[in-house]
Amino acid sequence: MGPEILLTRAIFAAALVLLMCGAVAAWASNNAIKRLAGIALSMLGAILGLAALGAPNALLIAAACAVFVQLAIGAAVTVRLQEDYGAIEAPETDQADRQDDMPGRAP
Amino acid sequence: MTAALDLMRTHAALLPLIIAIVGAALAMLCPPRLSWGLATLAALLCAFVTADTSVRVLIAAAPLWSVAEGVPLLADGIGLFASPLIAAVAALALAASGAVLSDIERRTWPLAMALVLCQLFGWLGALAARDLAGVFVAIETAWLASVALLAFSAGRTALGGALRMLGAGGVGSALFLCGVGIFYRSVGTLELSAIATAHIESADAAALGAGLMLLGVALKAGVAPLHDWMGGAFTRPGGPAALVLGTVGVIGALAVIVRLAGYVATSPTIGEGVSIALAVLGGASVVIGSVQAVGAHNLTRLAAYAGAAQAGGILLCVALGSPAGFAAALVQLTALAAAALALFGGAAAGGVQSLEHLDGLGRRAPLAGAAIMTGAISLMGAPLTLGFLGRWRLVEAGVGAGWWWAAGAVIFASLAGVFYGGRLIERLYFRRAGDLFHGPNDAWRWALAPMLAASIVAIAFGVSPAPLLTAADSAGALMLGGLP
Repeated sequence: MGPEILLTRAIFAAALVLLMCGAVAAWASNNAIKRLAGIALSMLGAILGLAALGAPNALLIAAACAVFVQLAIGAAVTVRLQEDYGAIEAPETDQADRQDDMPGRAP
Repeated sequence: MTAALDLMRTHAALLPLIIAIVGAALAMLCPPRLSWGLATLAALLCAFVTADTSVRVLIAAAPLWSVAEGVPLLADGIGLFASPLIAAVAALALAASGAVLSDIERRTWPLAMALVLCQLFGWLGALAARDLAGVFVAIETAWLASVALLAFSAGRTALGGALRMLGAGGVGSALFLCGVGIFYRSVGTLELSAIATAHIESADAAALGAGLMLLGVALKAGVAPLHDWMGGAFTRPGGPAALVLGTVGVIGALAVIVRLAGYVATSPTIGEGVSIALAVLGGASVVIGSVQAVGAHNLTRLAAYAGAAQAGGILLCVALGSPAGFAAALVQLTALAAAALALFGGAAAGGVQSLEHLDGLGRRAPLAGAAIMTGAISLMGAPLTLGFLGRWRLVEAGVGAGWWWAAGAVIFASLAGVFYGGRLIERLYFRRAGDLFHGPNDAWRWALAPMLAASIVAIAFGVSPAPLLTAADSAGALMLGGLP
């Protein structure tokens, strides 16, 4: 096994680790910012993996654009969460929603 | 007129995409109420153009033309069948959403309408893209538009759901990209049409890549157990967001899964591995979706979980990898579209969230009650409905391939459907309206027409299914190598 193949596999392995760590954070984190960081990490891993596997440049550029838009939308939603709830933790926002749903409270 | 029609047919592959994206741009520039009308008109035009092509190729057996637009597009059987379905669903959902636009701040109506058309553009693009890079870009366009639409709902309660949706979608995108990379490394091409004849270096790696791609899209389609985001997104969505996400979003993603599977599950080298993965995922989705729908106390969540169970049935059909399986998947997709429109339309227009809001609706608003009931009995798979036809075709295709357990899964889904669908009907017709009753109000006048249209389609194709079955059979056969 040549050093080049070894390097490619090492990069791909690192990319997979990044992707999985990011996926767990994006899926399970209660904090909006951590969730966004998870998205960024998992997409970074995916792009790194694509590059290591020799995917066409067009796909890499498309993936980079997708990350940018995802993070832009995520940032906008996070700002609105902070403005409307004064919190970006899911348990706190869920608690506020439950209080809104209680009889006699305006939705 | 004839010249215009000929010109339209010459560019039939690209025209729906242009209509959707130009419509989105124009809708954003229009005053609020006009933007809704323009968006509905654009979706109707898309439906007309795509339906014209589908009828000519799939029913009248006109030859499939080669696309030469300077844009990497590829017309195939699944795309030809599913494109008019999605465009029609978008048009009906947009028409119905006119009743509930107040769920969005008035100044953002044009942007919301543009986002719906962007979503339509994305799913149509994913069904027409020639390579996997195009499919990725199109899926992202549709998905991010739906996240933004959910975030635009009035009030703050949809924000958490939008963020959960964004997180799950990000994971799905990363999995899809990873799958594309592995697939490209093994197959050496991103072109969909070249997959069947490509020299595959490592079948296991290619199957893994294909599986990851399908998993990434399945996550966005809300296939159980990957549908964690649905709980947040469908708990308190605004009317238009629930309607569009529950209908166009789910149907579009499922259609893309069917299309991708049409290329990878039928490949002689990697088909078996992909089929096993799809069958496992489909079986799990039928069981988990059905159980969750039985336990749901919120109408939109019930409809979403029932949709996950139906999506499982579609994956089971696709896993068969035969023309009969693909035809069955397309019939089920149509049945799900009709049922979802009726249920989400009812929930949105009536302001129905909890199931208690449905109590007595059948007597107070008979047409609305009838539309929701039709959706419910179609989800059950009752005879003379489209839902029954879809399940019958799955049983036929499954038994033909020796997959008796798939028939068992269908029976399980139907039994669960009887329980949760029956619960809806019981509330509609056998309970008195309580204090929680919201309607009927002016909203129904607008929302009833598209809901009733979906209900009529669910019954009409159940009673007289010949055109639908012909189109589905042709699409399945065309996908696997030529018209029968």
